[in-house]
Amino acid sequence: MPIHPTHYLMLRRNLLYTAMTRAERERAYRALSLARALDERMWRLARAGRAHFAVPCSGHEAIGAGYALAMRAGIDWLSPHYRDLTALLVLGMAPRDVMLHFFSRPSDPNAAGRQPYAHFGSRRLHVLSLQGPQPNHCSHGVGCAWGSKLLGDGSASVIAFGDGGAQKGEVHESMNIAAVHQLPVVFVVHRNGWTQSVKRESEYATDSLVARAAGYGMPGIAVDGTDVEAMFAASRSALERARSGGGPTLIDAQCVRFLPNTSNDDDTRYRDRTALESEFAVRDPLVRARRLVAAAFADAVDAENAALAQDAADWAEAQPHGDAQTVAEHAYA
Amino acid sequence: MRELSVIEAVREALFEEMARDPRVLLLGEDVATLGGVFRASEGLLERFGPERVIDMPMAETGIAGVAVGLAMRGLRPVAEIQFADFIHAAMDHLVGEAAKMRWRTAGDWTCPMVIRTAYGGGFRGGPYHSQSVEAFYTHAPGIKVVAPSTPADAKGLLLAAIRDPDPVLVLEHKRTYRLIRGPVPDGDVVVPIGSAAIARPGNDITVLSYGMMLHESLAAANALAGEGIDVEVVDLRTLLPLDRTTILRSLAKTRRLCVVHEDTLTMGLGAELCALAAEAGVLEVPPVRVAMPDLPGIPVDDVLEDAVLPNRATIRAALVRLAGAVPAGSARRRAYDASIPQASSVVEIALPEEHTRAALDALVVACRAVPACNASFAWSGIVNHAQVVVDCDFGPAAPARGGGTITLIDYGREGADLAIPFVRPGQTAALRIGAVRDGRAFVACSVDHRAVDGADVGRFLAAFTTELERARAPETVHAG
Repeated sequence: MPIHPTHYLMLRRNLLYTAMTRAERERAYRALSLARALDERMWRLARAGRAHFAVPCSGHEAIGAGYALAMRAGIDWLSPHYRDLTALLVLGMAPRDVMLHFFSRPSDPNAAGRQPYAHFGSRRLHVLSLQGPQPNHCSHGVGCAWGSKLLGDGSASVIAFGDGGAQKGEVHESMNIAAVHQLPVVFVVHRNGWTQSVKRESEYATDSLVARAAGYGMPGIAVDGTDVEAMFAASRSALERARSGGGPTLIDAQCVRFLPNTSNDDDTRYRDRTALESEFAVRDPLVRARRLVAAAFADAVDAENAALAQDAADWAEAQPHGDAQTVAEHAYA
Repeated sequence: MRELSVIEAVREALFEEMARDPRVLLLGEDVATLGGVFRASEGLLERFGPERVIDMPMAETGIAGVAVGLAMRGLRPVAEIQFADFIHAAMDHLVGEAAKMRWRTAGDWTCPMVIRTAYGGGFRGGPYHSQSVEAFYTHAPGIKVVAPSTPADAKGLLLAAIRDPDPVLVLEHKRTYRLIRGPVPDGDVVVPIGSAAIARPGNDITVLSYGMMLHESLAAANALAGEGIDVEVVDLRTLLPLDRTTILRSLAKTRRLCVVHEDTLTMGLGAELCALAAEAGVLEVPPVRVAMPDLPGIPVDDVLEDAVLPNRATIRAALVRLAGAVPAGSARRRAYDASIPQASSVVEIALPEEHTRAALDALVVACRAVPACNASFAWSGIVNHAQVVVDCDFGPAAPARGGGTITLIDYGREGADLAIPFVRPGQTAALRIGAVRDGRAFVACSVDHRAVDGADVGRFLAAFTTELERARAPETVHAG
């Protein structure tokens, strides 16, 4: 079987302005804005000691929004990155469910109070359960995509992971197996250049990871991951290839991690926040996405989302904690 | 019933289950074209095609992780890890992912997958083709671990594993593959996960084992049958979860435990099984473990490998040692002994007024029969005296003088009917004969329980009274 010719595609914004319809752009902005509103609230609540753990997605929002908007919700499958809040929202997770997860309540549909925040998962939404050790979900996503092929249901999978996770053998084995069997899957690396405190230069020796695609005989696409339209266009073409039997694609989505790794991290110990803030001023995905919609629309959506985030947080925090009698449930069937 | 080898039984299970359930697929290294290095999947590629019998890259992490993903989609992946020695690369997906999937999502996601792997030594495979890995994976709640030792169980447990809604690790001892043949029932006979089997019934000692060591244990048990040691061999079959009911039922009967496994000793399955027995309080002597010594690997040289693996001879020696922890002359102490008086420290007997000489003679006989009562106790050790020196206490007019090896107290008709004798320093027993009333008297015995078991007191009293009665009735014996 001829392997799909490897190519690198640097998508430029001027090629892509026609990529999204107005409705799609408004939908994208709504998701980015809601993710930011929830993210900021979670960050403050965790820092105030009202919850255990926050994992911010600031700077990553456009990546997940891009592929989630290109996916068919409830049909295609996502093995999520832990900064994939936007994707979860686009695929249908309610803000209150996000906050139940954040407050680790047993009614949390992601992890039932058993895993801390950002271990997303929902069978209903076709989001595979995310685990602690990164990025073990890559091979799960490959198995899931293999399932699509065997079952012949026409669904495709997106597997998202960080550039830190990409240094593990797990990703190599997953990409290789997906390529050998031409599975309907899109690998997306959220490449923010940091693995908690370890900088890019200590993690890998290349400027980007897109060239790795060639090593597996799959196409690679380098995208500005702060540009939701570029992300959407790249995801759509990769998903179409996957669904049509063309096999896997690697998308290298470069972005800026604006906040510390988690609420337990202090990034002033390893990076210059002043430089970061000036970079973020021009590369904030939300600021960039705002240009895609009318200002009045954006303002209204921001106000609406601020209220949604507050309601979700207040409501979720008031939900009951677990019943110790139930802790052994679901160990086995 | 047909006779199959273990590997034939495994292959039959795979074949039948793939035919029965279209969701079942095989993946692993060399499983398709080659049919597996042990030929477990021989012929399956031809029958079920390359979509369901899949040669995977040499990537154990990926094989296990992909199996997790397939299972999450509702398929029934059966992954083969060629040698158990390679499975640790897959451990994160087994212990970290598959085991926790159901629990961490409160049942939203499940992981009904099987990993089969060949483990165990005895065929000169060296340190990376011989290991036993069960201790690592039986420490992971959320998965189940089975280890069949017979062809019937190899098939029945594999069928159960594939149908199980949770992840199951199937450990197949590679030496059993062709060495062990046995009857396999026709048709769809599932062996339930979590049930042990009595491979050989017995009464004296319980051996808990599995895999190849089960067969070595059976050989040792059979060799001991002619020596009066009746060993029960329990085939654990499932290592997680353990069949506590069958294990404890056997131990309640034998009260002696020997665990045999090929895995190394420290923190091995034997530790858990001994703890289980100890916590249940069913053992009468300390348990024994027969296992591989704590070495980093199994060496390949013939002599060296044979030196480290348990075998029927080392198991037999351990069983003899365990059986030897009981009184000489019987393989096992009976729970009910008709010769022991019901109230073992006091007995009422027929006795004439004049009985001092006969009592002294009977006491010597009883001391010979139960030496523990003619001894002295010290924390440094118990000394059984070679001679019997009776220190007699016949009342205030003729008190004991001290220095004997046992004390006899008899105040005659002026004494109490029943009184407690005191054990004197340097002795372990004292006997008191009460006042004789209407030709009958109570005999009471006190002992130092640091040196004398309760049942031994009964035996001592029984020997004393039997001897007295025998001395009193010589004519009857002659007349009879």
